[in-house]
Amino acid sequence: MQRLIACLLALGVALGGLALAQDPPPTHGGSVTVAIVADPPGWDPSASTSQEIPRVVYHNVFEGLVRFDSAGEIVPALATDWSVSDDGLEWTFTLRSGVSFHDGSDFTVDDVIAKFERAMDPDSGHTNAAYYAAIESVESAMDGAAVVFRLSEPSRSLLYNLARPDSIIYPAGTHETQRTQPIGTGPFRFAQYVEGSEVRLERFEGYHQDGLPYLDEVVFRIISDTNARFAALQSGDIDLMAQLAPEQYVQADANPDLQASVGAATAEITVAMNNAREPFSDERVRQAITHAIDKDAIVQGAMFGLGTVIGTHMTPAEAYYVDLTDTYPYDPERARELLAEAGYPDGFTIDFELPEPYAIERRSGEVVAQYLRDVGIDVNLSVVEWGTWIERIFLGRDYDMTIIGHSEPRDINVYANPSYYYGYDNARIAELLAEAEAAGSAEEETAAFQEIARIIADDAVNVWLFSSPFLVAAQNDVHGFWTDQPTPNLNMVEVYRAP
Amino acid sequence: MLAYLTRRLLTALVSVVLASLLVFSALLAVPGDPAALILGMNAQPEALAALRIRLGLDVPPAQRYVAWLGGVVRGDWGESLQFGRPVAALIWARLGVSVPLALGAALLACLIALPLGIWAALRRGTATDPVVIVASQVGAAIPSFWLGLLLILFFAVELRWLPAGGFPGWERSVTGSLRALLLPVLALGLGQAAVMARLTRAAMLDVLAQDYVRTARAKGLPMRKVIYEHALRNALVTIVTILGLSLTNVFIGSIVIEQVFALPGLGRMALTAIGNRDFPLLQGAILVYATTIVLLSFLVDVSYGLLDPRIRYA
Repeated sequence: MQRLIACLLALGVALGGLALAQDPPPTHGGSVTVAIVADPPGWDPSASTSQEIPRVVYHNVFEGLVRFDSAGEIVPALATDWSVSDDGLEWTFTLRSGVSFHDGSDFTVDDVIAKFERAMDPDSGHTNAAYYAAIESVESAMDGAAVVFRLSEPSRSLLYNLARPDSIIYPAGTHETQRTQPIGTGPFRFAQYVEGSEVRLERFEGYHQDGLPYLDEVVFRIISDTNARFAALQSGDIDLMAQLAPEQYVQADANPDLQASVGAATAEITVAMNNAREPFSDERVRQAITHAIDKDAIVQGAMFGLGTVIGTHMTPAEAYYVDLTDTYPYDPERARELLAEAGYPDGFTIDFELPEPYAIERRSGEVVAQYLRDVGIDVNLSVVEWGTWIERIFLGRDYDMTIIGHSEPRDINVYANPSYYYGYDNARIAELLAEAEAAGSAEEETAAFQEIARIIADDAVNVWLFSSPFLVAAQNDVHGFWTDQPTPNLNMVEVYRAP
Repeated sequence: MLAYLTRRLLTALVSVVLASLLVFSALLAVPGDPAALILGMNAQPEALAALRIRLGLDVPPAQRYVAWLGGVVRGDWGESLQFGRPVAALIWARLGVSVPLALGAALLACLIALPLGIWAALRRGTATDPVVIVASQVGAAIPSFWLGLLLILFFAVELRWLPAGGFPGWERSVTGSLRALLLPVLALGLGQAAVMARLTRAAMLDVLAQDYVRTARAKGLPMRKVIYEHALRNALVTIVTILGLSLTNVFIGSIVIEQVFALPGLGRMALTAIGNRDFPLLQGAILVYATTIVLLSFLVDVSYGLLDPRIRYA
C-alpha cells in the first residue's frame, strides 16, 4: 500500500512537472494574496527559530550568501561562487557586486563579517550558534570582493547551514530593528504590517537579479481559523494557501477554479516518548508501541492517503533518506509479547498529550491512542495549549507521550542531545554526527547519517508515523509558486499571474 | 442621586482592578514562557535567559503587576512582548474593528427584536405568536460561529457578493471596511435578536397583564395609547436591562466572530496575547473589556433612575 502511495505521489510530482511545462509565459505586475496562519514572533529569522518567520521572509525579503532553490539545491545568492581549500579549512565566497539593501545602502563585506561575528557569539541572541561552531574567523579578501571563512575543522554542513534562514544578511548594526522593520536584499521590501491582519511586501526596484520579481505586490493575510482560511480561498479573497488539511486538498482538487498540488516536505509526524521515564525507559516497551501502531491505516484514515509512512527521523525528500519502515512493522501480537517480556502483561497507564494548534497531529494521535488501547495500554488523551506544550513538555520534559511534526530539514542531530525532550541518551549519535561533519565525501556523509537513522530506529526512540506532504492550492491564474518545501518558505520570487 | 452615582462609580473601579488582577494571576498559574514562545522551539538557553531579562520577566510577578498598574494610572500601558509596540496603540487600532462590529450587531438586534417581541406579545393567542416563539428559539440555539460559517459559504463562496473575511482598514477603504463588517454583524446580531425578542415579549406580556392596563382599557382609552403610554414605558425598564446585557453579550461574542471572519479586532488580539503569554497586551485588552462591561452596567443602572421615578427616589 505504501509503495502505491509513493507511486501516486511520484506520479503527482510528474504531472505537476508537466503542468509547469505548460505554464503560460511570465508576465509582470499584479498582486497575489497568500494566507498565513499566525503573526510570527517578529520578522528576523536570526532572532527566533519560529518556522513562521522564514515562510514569509526567506528569499522574498532576506538573502544569505547562498540559498535553497525550489528543489532544495544550494544556489548562489549574495555570493556568486565559492571554493574550498584542499584541507577543507578555508572557504572563500566571492561577493555579488552592485547589490543594495532596501534602505538604499550598499551590501559590502563588512555586513557579512558583522553578521557572522554575531552568529558566532553565543551572547548575541543569534539563533542556532551550533550551525557556525566550526567557524574560527570571518575575514575580508580581495579588497572586499570576497569573504573567507577559516574553520577549526572541516565542516560538511557549513554550506547547507549558510543556506538556512538563520544565515540571512542585513546591514551591519541593524539587528535591533530587524525584528520589527526588516531590511534585506531580497526582491520584495517589507512595506506594511498590520498586526493580526496582514503583511504587505512591495516589489524592490533595485533587486540584483534583472526581471525579478514578477509581482508588484504580495500580501500575506493572517487567518488563524482553518475553515475561514479555506473559505477565503474558495471565495477568491485569497490567491494561494499552503498547509491545507487533507480534506481541503481533496476539495480544492475537485474545484475547477483552483489548482492543487501534493509536494514533498521535510516534516516527520512523530509520536515522541519520554525515554528517560518509565515505562518508556525500557526499549522493549518502545518497540511494543511501534509494533502496536498501523501507520498505513493512519495515513489512509487521518490523511486521505496523503502522506508517506516512515520508519525513522527522515523523509524521502531528504538526500540521505533510508527506508526503515520494516524495522518494527504493525504486529499487535508481537507488541503484547514484548509488553509481557518487559513486565507489563496487563499493560500500564500513560498520559498522551496532543498539541492544540496542530490538527493533523491531534487527529493522528487519537487513532494512535486507539491502537495502544488495543494492546492493553491505558491511554489518557488530553489536548494541551501551545504555550504549555513548549514550556512543560518541550523545555520542561515533563510528559509521557506527545505527538508533533518536526518540520525542519536535516534535523536528525537532535538525537545527539541528551537534554532534548525525547530524553534519549546515546553517545554514539554525537560520534557519528562528528564523522558526518568531517566526512571526505558525500557518500561517507550519507553513510554516517543513515547509520544514525538506523540506530534510532532500532532503539525505537519515537514512533515516526509518516512524512506529511506539502499541500498547496491556488487560483488557476497564479503560477510559479513552490510545490515542494525543501525548507519552510512561501517563495513568491518567481510567482506571476497569467490566465 | 449623586451619592448613588459615586457609589456605583467606585464599585466599577474596584471591579476593573480586580478583573485585571484575576487575569494576571490566572496567566501566572498556567505554564508558558513568553520568551520561549518568541524564540521558537530550537532556542538556546542563553538566548532565552537574555530575552527574559530584556522583557523584564526576571522581576517578581507582584512587582511587575504593581509597575503595570502604576503605568496605567500615568497613561502608559506598556509595550507588547510579541509585537514590540505600545499596547495602547495596538488596542486603539483594534477598537476600530471591534466597536463598529459590536454596535452594529447590537443595533441590528434591537431593530429586529423590539418590534418583533412587542408584536408577538400583542398577538398572543393568535397563530403569529408561536411562529415568533419558535423562530426565536431556533435563532437563539444556533451558535454564532456556525451561522458565520454558513453566511460565508453562501454569500462569499457561492454568490461571491461579500468577502469571506479580513478587513482592509478604514483609512484604506471605507466601503471595503463596511462590506467586511456586514456578514460578521449579521452573524453576531441575529442570534442576539432572537434572545432579545423572547425577553421583550415576556416583559411586554408581564406589563399587559397589570391591573393599570386593564383599568386603562376599561375606561375606554384607545389601544395605541394604552400600549405606548402605559405598557411600553413600564416595560422599558426590563428592556433597557436586556439591552445592556445584549451589548455585553455582543462585545464578548465578537471574540469568536472575529476569529471566524479573520477580523483584526480586540477579541482576536486578546486570544493571540493569551497564546503568546503577552502579559502587557492581554492586561490592556482585559482592562478595555472590563471597563466596557462595567460602564455598560453602570449606564443601565443610571437609566433605571431616569425611566422609573420609584428607583430614583428609593
